[in-house]
Amino acid sequence: MFGTYNAPLNITQEGISLSVQKDGKNLIYHRDCLGGQVEKHLLASKGKILLNPVEPVNRPKALTPYLLIEFEKALLSKPKETRTIFLRFPLEIGVYISTDTDFEILDIFSLTNHKFTLYGDPRNGVICKYWKSPVYSTIPSLSTLQEGIIELTITNTNSHWIEVTKAIFNAYGMKVYYNKTTASMKANINIKTKETAETEFIDTPLQKGMKKSLEIYASRKISVVKPKFIMEFGL
Amino acid sequence: MILNKVLYRSVTVFDLIMVAIILVLAMVIGKTVSLYLRRFLKEKIEKGHLEILVKIVSYTIAVIALLIILPILGVKLSGLLVAGGIAGLAIGFASQSVIGNLISGLFLMVERPIQIGNTVNIDGTVGIVEDIHIISTTLRTLDGLLVRLPNQKVFTADITNYAANVARRFEYVVGVRYSDDADKAIEIIKNLIKQHPLTLKNPAPMVFVDSLGESSVNIIVRIWAPATEWFGVKTELLWKIKQALEKEGIEIPFPQRVVWFANELSERGSSGS
Repeated sequence: MFGTYNAPLNITQEGISLSVQKDGKNLIYHRDCLGGQVEKHLLASKGKILLNPVEPVNRPKALTPYLLIEFEKALLSKPKETRTIFLRFPLEIGVYISTDTDFEILDIFSLTNHKFTLYGDPRNGVICKYWKSPVYSTIPSLSTLQEGIIELTITNTNSHWIEVTKAIFNAYGMKVYYNKTTASMKANINIKTKETAETEFIDTPLQKGMKKSLEIYASRKISVVKPKFIMEFGL
Repeated sequence: MILNKVLYRSVTVFDLIMVAIILVLAMVIGKTVSLYLRRFLKEKIEKGHLEILVKIVSYTIAVIALLIILPILGVKLSGLLVAGGIAGLAIGFASQSVIGNLISGLFLMVERPIQIGNTVNIDGTVGIVEDIHIISTTLRTLDGLLVRLPNQKVFTADITNYAANVARRFEYVVGVRYSDDADKAIEIIKNLIKQHPLTLKNPAPMVFVDSLGESSVNIIVRIWAPATEWFGVKTELLWKIKQALEKEGIEIPFPQRVVWFANELSERGSSGS
């Protein structure tokens, strides 16, 4: 599904119906997904449409730039050891329309159920988009547009065994890559103490041939102040 | 020359022109710096912090301009300091409330119990903080009125800030009939909360039988939601809970009282014979 298309177009996949049709001299964008519909008039006679996965913190509402992934089973990290695991993250699909020079976001939709959670206490904590994922030792095969894969490299810089049950990521630093069927990200989590860790994204694709998604936050010209996230309220 | 014409003591026309130029320059610099600060820091600093920073910079520029202008107008700053003691006393008495508001305003800016954009309750006035000036604070009430509160009043009043924390809890009391299965009702309510995207996973919602009331078994429902969304979630969920319970045959009872008549048996006996 991901990729660049020339309007007019018509895509139907996994309950998503997406079309850009001619309406006189203009175009009409229509999207139907999980009962939610969006229709927009595009005042142009032609254009390119780009479908790519975006930072998964925009739906149902862009309340927070943080994504919390809770592990289905807790991990115990060996002291001074680095290991790589794979997780699933909720997928949000961005629809962009392009002019000759740049792309503009037209729509964002998702096939997943959404949930939010609080990390920390109500006074000092942060609201996060919530997702629960199994932990994999090898790249899982995903066949739906509901989830992507995140490769997480866990480094325990501490001299004790430390239990990790979740990871929180800042969307401002997210680097999402995709091919025709899969979306992916790569991130690090550096464990400092039993209660604190730091997460950051790596700007490389999970597999060869993957393309980099357009960053929504970058396109809104919000400067990247803190691309890292410091988990200070427990792991 | 006309520029050298003395108007008052040693103040010449040239001095007045200089004063006017400095005033205009100070205003232009103040406006320009404020504009650029707002433009460049808009996305980097919180709106409340930015407004305070802009005000501090503007007032600093105004004070510097004043300190430059006064000697030109023949006012000696050293003399001002001596005179300031006496004048300050007189002005202090005359402008007690203004100074009180000013100092309270400074304390409000430092302590920051409220910020621009917060929904607050100040001494019974509920509204959204529009601006925190040096003398007063303006609120936009929920019915769209503008209320100006002197900072002294704001500083000494009881303040409830509904948006200070990122999440807040709200509560319902749902009564079900004594004949209904309260466990089933709790399960239905929990499922509804779980399905709603804007109710928080953590802190976890609480649903439990709280009391055995006169007419109903009372179930308490406590839900956490993001502080910006709680009201919408609260208004939306209550009706959904009512509909979901009714769909499963669980009803929210009206107040009722069972009345026993002392002579009921004898009346029944006499009517039956």
